[in-house]
Amino acid sequence: MSLVSSAIAMAMAMEDTLELDCSVYSNNTTTTTSPTEHDYGCNRQNWPPIVDWEALAGHDEFKDLIESMMDDGGLNFNLFPSEAVDVVEGGSSNSESADMMAVDDETNNDDCKGLRLVHLLIAAAEALTGVNKSRDLARVILVRLKELVSPTDGTNMERLAAYFTEALQCLLEGTGGVHPKNLIGNGPQRDEQHHQADVLAAFQLLQDMSPYVKFGHFTANQAILEAVSHDRRVHIVDYDIMEGIQWASLMQALVSRKDGPPAPHLRITAISRGGSGSGRRSIGTIQETGRRLIAFAASIGQPFSFHQCRLDSDETFRPSALKLVRGEALVVNCMLHLPHFNHRSPDSLASFLSGAKTLTPRIVTMVEEEVGPIGEGGFVGRFLDTLHHYSALYDSLEAGFPMHSRTRALVERVFLGPRISVSLARIYRARGDDDSNSGGSSGEWLATSGLRAVPISFANHCQAKLLLGLFNDGYRVEELANNKIALGWKSRRLLSASVWTPSDSDFQHPDRCGL
Amino acid sequence: MFQHKKPSTMNSHDRPMCVQGDSGLVLTTDPKPRLRWTVELHERFVDAVTQLGGPDKATPKTIMRVMGVKGLTLYHLKSHLQKFRLGKQPHKEFNDHSIKDASSLELQRNTASSSNIMARSMNEMQMEVQRRLHEQLEVQRHLQLRIEAQGKYMQSILEKACQTLAGESMASGSYKANIGSQGLPDMGVMKDFGSPLNFPSFQDLNIFGGDQLDLQHNMERPQLDGFMQNNDNICLGKKRTSPYSGSGKSPLIWSDDLRLQDLGTTPSCLGPQDHDPFKSADQIQISRPSMDRSGADIDSISDIYETKPPLQGGGDSMGEKKFEASVKLEKPSPRRAPLPTDRMNPMINAGAMPQGRNSPFG
Repeated sequence: MSLVSSAIAMAMAMEDTLELDCSVYSNNTTTTTSPTEHDYGCNRQNWPPIVDWEALAGHDEFKDLIESMMDDGGLNFNLFPSEAVDVVEGGSSNSESADMMAVDDETNNDDCKGLRLVHLLIAAAEALTGVNKSRDLARVILVRLKELVSPTDGTNMERLAAYFTEALQCLLEGTGGVHPKNLIGNGPQRDEQHHQADVLAAFQLLQDMSPYVKFGHFTANQAILEAVSHDRRVHIVDYDIMEGIQWASLMQALVSRKDGPPAPHLRITAISRGGSGSGRRSIGTIQETGRRLIAFAASIGQPFSFHQCRLDSDETFRPSALKLVRGEALVVNCMLHLPHFNHRSPDSLASFLSGAKTLTPRIVTMVEEEVGPIGEGGFVGRFLDTLHHYSALYDSLEAGFPMHSRTRALVERVFLGPRISVSLARIYRARGDDDSNSGGSSGEWLATSGLRAVPISFANHCQAKLLLGLFNDGYRVEELANNKIALGWKSRRLLSASVWTPSDSDFQHPDRCGL
Repeated sequence: MFQHKKPSTMNSHDRPMCVQGDSGLVLTTDPKPRLRWTVELHERFVDAVTQLGGPDKATPKTIMRVMGVKGLTLYHLKSHLQKFRLGKQPHKEFNDHSIKDASSLELQRNTASSSNIMARSMNEMQMEVQRRLHEQLEVQRHLQLRIEAQGKYMQSILEKACQTLAGESMASGSYKANIGSQGLPDMGVMKDFGSPLNFPSFQDLNIFGGDQLDLQHNMERPQLDGFMQNNDNICLGKKRTSPYSGSGKSPLIWSDDLRLQDLGTTPSCLGPQDHDPFKSADQIQISRPSMDRSGADIDSISDIYETKPPLQGGGDSMGEKKFEASVKLEKPSPRRAPLPTDRMNPMINAGAMPQGRNSPFG
């Protein structure tokens, strides 16, 4: 059978990659898995970006394989299946297993299952958008996937795969578009709204379980502090204020700063979405946030005032809508990472940033998720990259809390799952584009659009490192540029914080940080 | 401070025409004897200068007196001092800063010596290191305060939400039923790690208050005995081997359970809990109903926070003081987060962290 032989050829080719040292982020950090060098290629870092489907014949043969896949009684217990069955999923697991598989079925079990899931996901992504596009095939694969995974059970990989499956499903059915309104409920429980309590609980957990949120907030805040160290009035325009958590620590720092005028007057303008529906909801949230911030500021003696600025219904930003006061230092703050539900279109963000630039802010702080290098992978390549990203994220949470899969599942459901859907939707919409906004980082865009870098100070860097030190060892700070530091888990960059200022501004970074 | 080295051996090799006098000065044998400023002599010179407060403050006369070298005349010193002043111009600022620094004095002695450049950079390096260390301590302290601020703010959010939910459930009649349906357990959970004592609406329910404390401080807080009275009855914290979740804390998540069972009843009736959480678990879920909620799967969120006694140990010093201070406390987030003690301790030992923590916040 040509299919088998070509699959084995593929397996041989993959063997080379599999033998690379794949220690870094195996998808299994639970106690049941011993970290072995023979990860059996489960380190998706070494994954070939695109499965060589061309080597495989047309769809009919695919269907046969899929059928046989379906017949495969249970992934868990069939480690040495017949060759035909495993061939689509990368004969690697098969040929590998025959030769190298140790006696310990259990440990390899999860790995291989994870491997299999990834294969299926890639296959589905390929079927959805690749050269041999076939919606039917994709559907079939997704059905199979859904049988294998659950968003609440199993290993990281399994849960992750569940969300990706769901996201792909939406792409399949929604013919490319994902309506923002559906996003909240886009997890496996599609019909439900996330309860406010859930969201808050998950938010608190996300903050405490990982340095993810604090990293962005604190780095931006430190940069802001340094930039306004001698100002009496500070005005911050926040793109997505959410609950306003970021500003609590900034206020505290402002109140207790030593050099410069103490407790400068702080003004925060929150950008709110226009339009109906979600717009109304967001305005309500923002007003609540404003009240809270005012109360907090009062409690620590920080002079403070709060404003809102509505975006137009088409989400364009009108700088004139902002109230500016002469003599104040303007700061633009842009948090795009979790848990911000970033279903703003890239255009909205772009319009905001360009508008903000015209106001000549003192600095612009931006925190966003890091994506891998955009190769020629197209949709599948970016799909895989997204898979890597969230896999690392899941791993990082698990590493901190290996026994709390329930609570992690909550965070995943509330934040990560929807985020996955959004990311995939965005990639999907942008497929075919070479270098769209969805791929590149906003930071890069900023660099090319008339903003120059503001170096991240030693104190800031130091703070980031200290913060990470409070959490798991696997986190690290990486300096990507003199104005950009990134939070990474093991070898995967998750998040980056960068600081900018308009090229023509005369703002010079003070030598001594305004602590 | 003054090294009283004999310059003889070194220089006599280099300059056969030099003669060493009685005082240790090396003079050339020219028709006009000129003083050679040897390394050692220069060292003494620099010593004296710094003693006197720098090349600007020192005068040839005072230097001569301080050096106490026989045969050294004012003329020698005048010209040498002038050269010294000029030569020190580029790196004068370093000396100004570190004049008081004892260790820098050592280095300064070497600045004009043959190992000039190396010494200068050593000086710079040392200062740089010191400056960085100082900054780092500052950063630590500030980080602590900022995390606390964030934690406090977070609590205010949770409080608010909790009260809103409680208000709603109160308003709509059956307390029990509504708690279940509104996912209040989540808030219960969050309160467990949020401020332990800041939820007035539930403080009446001693169970809850007691639970929270037990949750967070494991069993190591003697001064909280007043609050712990219920804990003895509840004994939840101590039930680490609870059958349903492997953690005795899991019933605490379902704080509404407790309320359900114990509104109006004594806490002690919580003793046999094996059945209740299971039952309630079906009705009351930490997340949406479709999530699998078998009792066995409930690994409590609280576990994250109850964590590690070592953490408690590390943070205890600060925490205790805070508890004594007031009932209404903001629980600093780092104590809630699972900070490995070995990381915390060095900071505490450095003395930086406690300072920051003990500063009353808010």
